[in-house]
Amino acid sequence: MRSASKALGLLAAVAFVVAFPRMAPDAFILSVGVVIMSYAVLATSWNFVGGFTGYISLGHAAYSGLGAYATGLLVIETGMNPWLAMLAGGLLVAAFAVPVGIASLRVRGASFVIVSIALVLILLLVFQSWGSFTGGSNGLRVPRPFGTDVLRPEQHERFFYLHAVLLAVALLTWWLIDRSRFGTGLKAIREDEDKAQSLGVPTFQYKLVAFVVSAFFTALGGGMYALWFGFLDPIFQFSILVGSYMVLMSLLGGIRSLFGPVLGAVIVGYAVEYFKAQYGDTQFHLVAMGLLLALVVLFMPDGIIPAASSLLNRFRPQAASIREVTAAELAEQRRSAADAEEREPVTEGARR
Amino acid sequence: MSLLLQSLVLGVLLGGLYALLAAGLTLYFGVMRVVMIAHSAFLILAAYLAWFFTRTTGLDPMISLLLTVPLFFGIGVVMQRLLISRLRPATLTMMSVLLTFSIALTIEGLLGFAFTGTQRRIRLPYGGANFEILGANVAVVKLIAFLLAAVSLGALFLLLKKTQFGQALRATIQHPEAARLVGINTDRVAGYGFGLGLATAAIGGTALALDSTIYPSLHWHWIGPLMAIIVVGGLGSIPGAAIAAMVLGLGQSLLQIPLGTTWAQTFFYIALFATLMLRPQGFFGGRLAQRF
Repeated sequence: MRSASKALGLLAAVAFVVAFPRMAPDAFILSVGVVIMSYAVLATSWNFVGGFTGYISLGHAAYSGLGAYATGLLVIETGMNPWLAMLAGGLLVAAFAVPVGIASLRVRGASFVIVSIALVLILLLVFQSWGSFTGGSNGLRVPRPFGTDVLRPEQHERFFYLHAVLLAVALLTWWLIDRSRFGTGLKAIREDEDKAQSLGVPTFQYKLVAFVVSAFFTALGGGMYALWFGFLDPIFQFSILVGSYMVLMSLLGGIRSLFGPVLGAVIVGYAVEYFKAQYGDTQFHLVAMGLLLALVVLFMPDGIIPAASSLLNRFRPQAASIREVTAAELAEQRRSAADAEEREPVTEGARR
Repeated sequence: MSLLLQSLVLGVLLGGLYALLAAGLTLYFGVMRVVMIAHSAFLILAAYLAWFFTRTTGLDPMISLLLTVPLFFGIGVVMQRLLISRLRPATLTMMSVLLTFSIALTIEGLLGFAFTGTQRRIRLPYGGANFEILGANVAVVKLIAFLLAAVSLGALFLLLKKTQFGQALRATIQHPEAARLVGINTDRVAGYGFGLGLATAAIGGTALALDSTIYPSLHWHWIGPLMAIIVVGGLGSIPGAAIAAMVLGLGQSLLQIPLGTTWAQTFFYIALFATLMLRPQGFFGGRLAQRF
């Protein structure tokens, strides 16, 4: 029953994606669709490390930006096939992510976050200053993969489907990892790294693999964006803001669920584009983004999908006696129980 | 030779400011295990307040400290009590990063909204004055900024080492549970620790406003180096942060001669990666740093 409704939902989503370019009234809406699709790819790629291990990277823009530049530079410098260049770019970035991962994952969370931010800042510096190779602050023009006879709306449509395919591959990989022993180990790290380690999970290697896979897909997303958009500016490629969009999207949708980041990307991506179209380029979108992120972190850290499904579950008969409880919830329960015990005798004594 | 000496002097002056700000970051990390991304955003906010104060009243920007330091202390306490302490302990480190990041974005956006993105600079009567020591040319404002930072850092040191509150604060940093057992109200102490950290941003911001041009997105140029400093020094160690700040500030200043200002910035990040590769707990961090 439940799996049937799930399959139906998936089918509806696929049908919507396939039909969207035909339903879009004009090229602008279609291009917004491509942007949202690109965000969905990036957020899902981010979720390989954020969702499985619980390590929050604010600097994934580093990998999307590197992927974009690697693709563009490979096409320009070697003249290779753009799609091969995109794949090669992804592999190069994955190789680059190995030493970064080794440096940042050896210690726990705090250093990881610091390195992730530092990486974006350093790359921005390098790509702005190294003008002879990267085009510097003037930006880099990436040749389009389709000929000039393919018109703009047609370009958007093709790239919409290409992004959709990439998204499907990323989602499939996430789903496969989620069901594997590897995925179980990663989730054990997320819940309690010390316990996972003492149970024999090779935590460092697992984290590193998840991190490199995430960087690979993020770089592919960045490379495809570069081929679509055709122009790269270091300020927008290596921007902390882009990295934080990925975090906000995933967190809002729900980092523990497969489609959470996609849902978040649709909501946030639409909101961002709407905001830009309505209010132009003011500083106000920073405030909106900041407040939204704060609200999600404070009140909905598990995201929309878990919140909605727990609401749904209230109306269902109790499924099983074994419940999934996170380490944090257990600790919370224990603490409140301990507090209650502690408080009781004191009030008793005070009364006496 | 005089160029080298000049860079050395400038490096020390810059290192002093870095040391004060890194001490603030270390305080947050010590009391709450929080990586406070918004620290440099508050720094820029204080700089803007100093600029605004001088523009409207015509008084010296340093007088604005009388307002901003208590204000920022209060904001810090409120922030810790109302926002940070609401987060679940199990995911505190990660979620607090996001929360403080969102605060940084909000501050940047509001600054851009209120004062526009135009670059601002305080005009001071003594702004162009400078003097020479041993052939090195030192601007008076840079020296004032350094003295401001050095005096505050000294005051912070005395507060932590000599007073009862400082003892309680250090106990909270070292072992919160043991501190609770001997009767320290760690929640309150953590709040005050946060306030102290933010007060360093107020002082640093005023010092910054004295001699540099400010704009809303400037804080990204500060947060990277500051983060690198606290990792190199060992997360949670205030002397470590101060020493690392001095060393890295000097290094940046000296590297500016052969490399130019932009590439010299990368020194911080190289130091950060090298530290994590060779000695992940930092060079002065103890037991505390190892687990983060």
